[in-house]
Amino acid sequence: MFLEIRGIKKSFGTGDSCVNVLKGLDLNIEKGEFCVLLGPSGSGKSTLLNIIGGIDGADEGSITIEGERLEDMTEKKLSLYRRKHLGYIFQMYNLIPNLTVRENIEVGAYLREQPLDVDELLHTLGLYEHQRKLPNQLSGGQQQRTAIGRAIVKNPDILLCDEPTGALDYHTSKEILKLIETVNQRYGNTIIMVTHNDAIKDMADRVVKLRDGMIRKNYRNEVKIPAIDLEW
Amino acid sequence: MKSPLRKRLPRELKSEFGKYLVVFIMMAITIAFVSGFLVADGSMIRAYDDSFQKYNIEDGYFRTKKKLTTTQKEDIEKSDVKIYENFYIEQKLTNGSTVRFFKNRKDVDKVCLMKGRMPEKSGEIAVDRMYAENNSLEIGDWVKSGKRAFRITGLVALSDYSALFQNNNDTMFDSVKFGVAIVTDKDFEALNQVKLQYNYAWVYDKKPETEKKEKKMAEDLMEDMTGVVTLESFVPQFQNQSICFTGDDMGSDRAMMVMLLYIVMAILAFVFGITISNTIRKEAGVIGTLRASGYTRRELIIHYMSLPVVITLIGALVGNILGYTLLKQVCAGMYYGSYSLPTYVTIWNAEAFWMTTVVPVIIMLTINSGILYYKLRLSPLKFIRRDLSSRKQKRAVHLSTKLGIFRRFRLRVIFQNISNYMVLFVGILFANLLLFFGLLLPSVLDHYQEEIQGNMLAKYQYILEVPTEAMSGSKLESLLALMQYSNGTETENKTAEKFSAYTLNTIPGQAKSEEVMLYGVEPDSRYIKADLGKGVYVSAAYADKYQVEPGDKITLKEKYERKRYTFKVDGIYNYSGAVSVFMSRDKLNRTFDLGNDYYAGYFSNTKIRDIDEKYIGTVIDLEALTKVSRQLDVSMGNMMGLVNGFAVMIYMIVIYLLSKIIIEKNAQSISMTKILGYTNGEISRLYIMSTMLVVIIELLISLPIEKAVMNVIFRAMMMSSMTGWITLWIDPKIYVEMFLVGFITYVAVALLEYRKIKKVPMDEALKNVE
Repeated sequence: MFLEIRGIKKSFGTGDSCVNVLKGLDLNIEKGEFCVLLGPSGSGKSTLLNIIGGIDGADEGSITIEGERLEDMTEKKLSLYRRKHLGYIFQMYNLIPNLTVRENIEVGAYLREQPLDVDELLHTLGLYEHQRKLPNQLSGGQQQRTAIGRAIVKNPDILLCDEPTGALDYHTSKEILKLIETVNQRYGNTIIMVTHNDAIKDMADRVVKLRDGMIRKNYRNEVKIPAIDLEW
Repeated sequence: MKSPLRKRLPRELKSEFGKYLVVFIMMAITIAFVSGFLVADGSMIRAYDDSFQKYNIEDGYFRTKKKLTTTQKEDIEKSDVKIYENFYIEQKLTNGSTVRFFKNRKDVDKVCLMKGRMPEKSGEIAVDRMYAENNSLEIGDWVKSGKRAFRITGLVALSDYSALFQNNNDTMFDSVKFGVAIVTDKDFEALNQVKLQYNYAWVYDKKPETEKKEKKMAEDLMEDMTGVVTLESFVPQFQNQSICFTGDDMGSDRAMMVMLLYIVMAILAFVFGITISNTIRKEAGVIGTLRASGYTRRELIIHYMSLPVVITLIGALVGNILGYTLLKQVCAGMYYGSYSLPTYVTIWNAEAFWMTTVVPVIIMLTINSGILYYKLRLSPLKFIRRDLSSRKQKRAVHLSTKLGIFRRFRLRVIFQNISNYMVLFVGILFANLLLFFGLLLPSVLDHYQEEIQGNMLAKYQYILEVPTEAMSGSKLESLLALMQYSNGTETENKTAEKFSAYTLNTIPGQAKSEEVMLYGVEPDSRYIKADLGKGVYVSAAYADKYQVEPGDKITLKEKYERKRYTFKVDGIYNYSGAVSVFMSRDKLNRTFDLGNDYYAGYFSNTKIRDIDEKYIGTVIDLEALTKVSRQLDVSMGNMMGLVNGFAVMIYMIVIYLLSKIIIEKNAQSISMTKILGYTNGEISRLYIMSTMLVVIIELLISLPIEKAVMNVIFRAMMMSSMTGWITLWIDPKIYVEMFLVGFITYVAVALLEYRKIKKVPMDEALKNVE
């Protein structure tokens, strides 16, 4: 198994104000799988994503990626792990405001010895004409495409997407989903996407539904619908 | 109802405690120092001003060859003045210094006893406090002059010697090798009476009200006196450096300190301004919402300005308390370290309080309200949309992709923070200027000393004193006196070479009028190697001070007359020891109608021992020429360490605050790069290295600017504060030192910043803000 999640527990706060966000999760994800984590606000999906991404730690349990246990890693090793294996996409893009589109993507490219070709990627993302613009000169969709570019340029093993369409309108959202789908197909990255948009589950290989910090459903999607055909 | 926003203030203070503490400390220290200085300065100026009346300081002095007869005294006193004997005898002490002995003065120029008691018995002496300090003398110690020994019973300040000028023409006072002392009348009479100087002090019956009247009265008095007695010297109070130098210096220091305070305050105000701009950017959404809900711009300006103003106010109050208690003594000590001032009483100084409390608050208010008004002028909607640029969307500066991503990244950080770096530049300029000054002065003095040693006209210049009878007596008397003089001043010394001399004064302008020695040199002189011919050369010091070049004309005047002389300058003679003019002996004697055979002294490379001592007026040797550098070193040497320390403090604080802001501003990006897998080292290379690059560039750019500014400041300082001239010489090593101090300071700050970068959490990027 590519990614194994075992008995993950996480709580925030102490005493009376302690909230158990994850209450012991088990999950397996295969290499190249497109996995969607669904659930309402507060169900723990983003927390789980952050723990997989190594930017937050679990209280209990373990995460193993290709045999390597995350909780055994030092801060330095974690940094290296993110560098080698992970790409991150957020709802709010988190682009570096004083770098151009191209430079933001190059910040990702720097981390890999053999990154994808930036020019080719800019074309794929439909950003070639905008490569010299700063993030504040772009629309939301263009910014998110840049963020995707930054995440995938180093061709990561796992692409973690936290509500990547949360701040976008219907059409732009579909565009972005299509792009993520293309990336998955073309480069074979494992994709874990957190969303509360139920319709997106139809384009995934695996659907995991969370509620109150527990996995309520976990199944493989036998009939996938292309992103372009999704409706909500 | 009070604005609920005020509840944020203590929380903001708590969350940014480090920043506010640093600014507070810097403010409090600067204000403490300036307030302490102003209080000490004000109190001492008052003590100094009061001393004129309290100690009945003379309105002038004159010296005669012989003691005044009763008739002569009465005749002079007819010009509405009262004359007091103030005779003195100068003797060398065994410690190598010269002391001017006085009897105790009871009516005029009275003595302030600082410690111990006045001499009562034979063998007792009270010496000047400053001189004693510089020569490590204390009450109970013995001083020896020839075979006579005196026990020090008291330390005093003579009211007419607040600055210890041995001669009124000296470039600088000398409290190391020259002192004044009081002995009993009996002991005074037992001293070598051959050296007795008939010095008289005068006090006007009715004091002149204005400076102009004072000058006029002095001129009239001199005219009256010359009809009665032959004057050897005539110095009205306003020309007496021993009395006036201290007052002038204290006044100019004050202006400098106030300027220093205001510059520091303005820099801190801009640092606050940048911090506020950063906060506004961070809180744009909140500001937009508040404005949309009805909060006025004024309310928000007041809110954001409150903390800087409160911090300034508290800093000013704490600074003033420290100033009045601790720093006052330190600052007064600085004056006591240079001048022989009488005791002082601390006087509450309303102006100092105003300047160190109200004005800094006003500076802070003005600069910050200006920045806030500018930043908050946008519509609420723009704030809500976080669109804080008033112009159309800024285009990114194009950077070639040939540059690596790290280089481009750093350049972008630099472009993003231009306003921070501009304030940083002002801070660097100012700190560097202080540092420059602190490092420069000792090296200038050393160089001056070396230069003087290297280009002395001769090892010894003996200036002879022509007996007054030769100049003013009857023809026969005059002739006889001259004959005696020429016999008594002939020498067998083989290195001796005659020269004639005359003193004129410069025309007062930017610099005070000062005496210029005009040398008349033998043809083919062994000492002055210049093709004088019929022309005139000026010393390098003259040329540098008055910006004279060959071909220019210079005009000098008789000291006590209106007569002026104009000379065309043919060349510049490499001599930095004094402001002087060289011409052939013939020309000088002819110009001033001194007679063909007239000479005023000898250049010599060995000591001349066969001249009658009574004809030797002054000997100019290395010790005499280096008096200035010696005294400046004593007066200002210690202060330079303080100046350097202060400069480094400004460096550290400004660099620390501004680079902290840059990191805070980019916290989200830093967090994001961490998530992407960048190491702390790599992130530091991006953010810290950008600031380091800027610091290096700014340090380098600042150097030529500092040099130009220092040229102006040094010139102005030398012009206004002293006669004579010290050439500005900048040791290239100083530039390296300045650069290194700046750079090392930055490295220290960078280590703190590295810690800060390490602490930026990764969840910063997860916050739902852009």
